[in-house]
Amino acid sequence: MTIETIKQTSALVVAVSGRMDAVTAPEYEKKINELLDSGEVSYVVDFGQLEYISSAGLRALLSTTRRIRDKQGCILLANIVGNVKEVFEMSGFGSIFTVHATVDQALKMLPG
Amino acid sequence: MITVEHLSKSFGDFSVLRDISVDIKQGEVISIIGPSGSGKSTFLRCINLLDRPSGGKIRIKGIDMLDRHTDVAKVRQKMNMVFQSFNLFAHLSVIDNLTLAPMKLLGKSRQEAERKAHELLRLIGLGEKYYCFPDELSGGQKQRVAIARCLAMEPEIILFDEPTSALDPTMVSEVLSVIRRLAKEGLTMLIVTHEMDFARDVSTRVFYLDEGAIYEQGTPGEIFGNPGREKTKAFIRRQQSLYQRLFSADFDLYSLNAEVESFCSRHLVPLKSRHGLTLLIEEVLQLYGTSSSFFPIDITVNYSEKTGQLELLLESPPGSANPLELQGEDSALGLAIIRNLLLDREFTHSDNRNILKLYLKNP
Repeated sequence: MTIETIKQTSALVVAVSGRMDAVTAPEYEKKINELLDSGEVSYVVDFGQLEYISSAGLRALLSTTRRIRDKQGCILLANIVGNVKEVFEMSGFGSIFTVHATVDQALKMLPG
Repeated sequence: MITVEHLSKSFGDFSVLRDISVDIKQGEVISIIGPSGSGKSTFLRCINLLDRPSGGKIRIKGIDMLDRHTDVAKVRQKMNMVFQSFNLFAHLSVIDNLTLAPMKLLGKSRQEAERKAHELLRLIGLGEKYYCFPDELSGGQKQRVAIARCLAMEPEIILFDEPTSALDPTMVSEVLSVIRRLAKEGLTMLIVTHEMDFARDVSTRVFYLDEGAIYEQGTPGEIFGNPGREKTKAFIRRQQSLYQRLFSADFDLYSLNAEVESFCSRHLVPLKSRHGLTLLIEEVLQLYGTSSSFFPIDITVNYSEKTGQLELLLESPPGSANPLELQGEDSALGLAIIRNLLLDREFTHSDNRNILKLYLKNP
């Protein structure tokens, strides 16, 4: 899994690509925790290049979301397609998170 | 009609057939199926002594084929064979291919032999090809001529050795339809074939050969609809399998994924199914990973090339629980995904192993 971050006015865009599974999910958690510790609290996660996610990835997403919300931050998900979208639907995750079609749409939801 | 007792055949130290005993009645149509190298063609060739058996007995209409006083050539006149490679005489016209043996061996006049040959060629739809030479015919036409030549000897038994294997797929049906017609006319036939639909339609009985023996036999309904033994099932479903053993919860997921991916590529498993399989394996192993009592785990992936069905079998030590019955927040997400991926599942206990069988939905 590769994680890239791009700072935008209203949030940090976190673009994940590759696989988010039992092996790589801890990397995602570690990265978000580091960003949180550095004071970043608004996130848009871009899943457009993510090929695979398992429940381990979903759990990482869930635990980091809790931490972000504990710090009064916010996290929006965008660009969930293909296999990843199916896993979201299978697990019922689609109803827990509001998913935005594009990163731009998600960014517009946040106060500038 | 044909009685085979304890037939065996070895080439040097290599045993091809082991202790085959069968009784074939007049009018039966027997399809002989099985993987390559299982001894199907050798079995057929032993029956008419093209290959001499190493042991056992063969009786054709009560005549002991292995008795040195038996006139084997005379028996063969009533038990003819159609080969994969046609074996027509290339220097003779179609009509001469059909009349040569009846004139030489049955003592028929040319006029009588030609009348019969014309009748047979019309029967197989090659009435216009009397004077053609084999090289002027397509593969399917050559094989139909080979069948007609066989019929010209008025046999009571015909042995077909993979009659369509050398043919272009477009020509298979024309040959099979001729054999189908013969089956309806009450000839006794033994057919070595890889055409499973044909074997199911045409046979009265099916022999499944594996490892040089008749592993299972039965009616087409039994063999194709409800085979009793594992290897027959795997063959009928054109099943491919991958085996892996995981010794502990610290197994290498990526190495396992690479094996699964390579297996799927080799057997052209559709991409959608591959994703489901990889996901299922990871999710299930996450559940198994919660306790060392589940290890070692033997994993088998079965893929039916015929139906596209994927199965995952996980065998764990006795006494271990069904991991799909684990409770808790951590396992809930994985279980939800597993439920969505599955068509069905079975968990069985035995003295030695616990077996979880998971059948994936076919996307």
